[in-house]
Amino acid sequence: MEKEEIYERLNNVFRDIFDDETIVVTAETTSKDIEDWDSLEHINLVVAVEQEFGIKFNMNEVTTMKNVGEMVDIIISRISK
Amino acid sequence: MGLVTFTFMVFCIITLFIYFIVPKKIQWVVLLVSSVTFLFWDNFNIGTVIQALMVLIPAYIFGRLIDKYYDTKKAKRFLAFGILIILAQLIYLKYTNLFLATFNHIFNLFGIKYQFGLVYRNSLIGISYYSLIMISYMTDIYRGTCKAQKNIFKCALFMSYFPILTSGPFIRYDSVGKEMYKEHKFNYRDMCYGLLRILWGVFKILVISQRLGMLVDNIYTNIGIYNFVLTFLAVLAFPLQLYTNFSGSIDVIMGISEIIGIKLPENFKLPFFSTTITEFWRNWHITLGAWLRDYIFYPLQKSNVMQKLNKKCKNIFGKKVGKKIPMYVSMVIMWILIGFWHGGAYTYIIGSGLLQFLFIFLEDILSPVSKKINDKLGINTEVFSYKLYQVIRTYLLFSFAMIFFRATRVSNAIEIIKSMFTFNLGILNRKVILNALGMDLYDFAILIVSLLTLFIVQLLARKGSIREKLFKQNIIFRWGIIYSLIFSIVIFGCYGVGYNATAFIYGQF
Repeated sequence: MEKEEIYERLNNVFRDIFDDETIVVTAETTSKDIEDWDSLEHINLVVAVEQEFGIKFNMNEVTTMKNVGEMVDIIISRISK
Repeated sequence: MGLVTFTFMVFCIITLFIYFIVPKKIQWVVLLVSSVTFLFWDNFNIGTVIQALMVLIPAYIFGRLIDKYYDTKKAKRFLAFGILIILAQLIYLKYTNLFLATFNHIFNLFGIKYQFGLVYRNSLIGISYYSLIMISYMTDIYRGTCKAQKNIFKCALFMSYFPILTSGPFIRYDSVGKEMYKEHKFNYRDMCYGLLRILWGVFKILVISQRLGMLVDNIYTNIGIYNFVLTFLAVLAFPLQLYTNFSGSIDVIMGISEIIGIKLPENFKLPFFSTTITEFWRNWHITLGAWLRDYIFYPLQKSNVMQKLNKKCKNIFGKKVGKKIPMYVSMVIMWILIGFWHGGAYTYIIGSGLLQFLFIFLEDILSPVSKKINDKLGINTEVFSYKLYQVIRTYLLFSFAMIFFRATRVSNAIEIIKSMFTFNLGILNRKVILNALGMDLYDFAILIVSLLTLFIVQLLARKGSIREKLFKQNIIFRWGIIYSLIFSIVIFGCYGVGYNATAFIYGQF
């Protein structure tokens, strides 16, 4: 899967979770850039991404992911396995 | 050994002196010896030694086993064992009375005459901190965040690092723990920065918090004597007393650690400028919140049970509302745990737990409503006056919850609330007011000036590090400020009768 396709699918997940059709994520996007992305919504987002790509994040990744770029790296490493 | 005592000052000077003159390879041993000395300073006997070993040994052994069997079912079992042992001990030592008292209440309700006698458990200083820190240590190994420490003495240093034992902050092995074994060169800049932070912490504790304590203690222990204005004053003063005491202690701790060369995570970010209770808790006791988030809230939210509940709720209530319900369930559990962390008495479970949850819950569900109202009425929410209103509202809500936190029992808190809303002016002359404040006009003036100083410093701190700004100033101004701080601590610090430097409000948790 190309990176662009992953970002495109992530955009849909983010728009759906945060109820905002204008969201466009990049590798540098962090929770600071999206108003509703707080610790309460974080797990909802993580689970939605897991379902979208049919993968599982471990707890270390859930707690240490710093931006969307790192999330994409993990997705790539999982789906290429 | 209290943080703001002469003994502790001498203890730190000796530790730092030896730390920087010994060969760098054994610096960590100096820290270990100091930490163990500090841990057992007031409470050394066979029982407390066993207590400490009962946390260290399981954490060390299971940590290594989890590492060895990483990513297998065995690792999960070892983690569960390790957590269970540490948690069982913590509950036994800290919460036995809470359970006994609860049983007594239940017996009373059903007319059973039997009552359990309460017990005294002699627990070590910092037991809650080091127990939770070692639980996170094992969990981090399980998650692959870090590797297990092979040297049990190094593991013991991480568990007992002396600066954090009294009031935190919570540290993680991956970030702070590893720093403890590194070699540190003496750094003049770090020493100046550290000392300044220690001074500022001592100022907060001795000049502000102790003085506010006189007023708060006096009015809280004489409920009903003073009219509603004075009761309100005590209720509003307590959060400030707690903050200056707790964040002052953290300043002292961070300062000492900074001189050693170990940077600790910040525990406060100007909480009283928060515009909502949700934001407030992101800026207050940050490391406790982060601990609960990473080790309780996230795993709970991601668990199969919660995910199933999530699905069910979405089917019944729709996507938007449905996803909130499991979130609130996890939050209630977390806030009750915060109440337990603070001692487990009902006053804490209500004041620092359930009420805080209630406010956050209300903020969450009412925010669309208030947005609509603001839009309809054309209220501009991006202006200073609106932000000020939000900051004051947050302070008032927090103060209200803290009535329960400060009161000795729930009925006591209710009496205070009644007294706040019994609009009887009574006699309100100078003598009564000064009597209520528990201080004379001179002390009251010092309190006002020191609170103003705190406020100005915090305003400046919003725009970047104050210490950096100060050290850029010319020598006369720089030393003028430092000397003023030292002299105000010496002259205006409360060392009077009834002052107990070891009685840190937060030390008891």
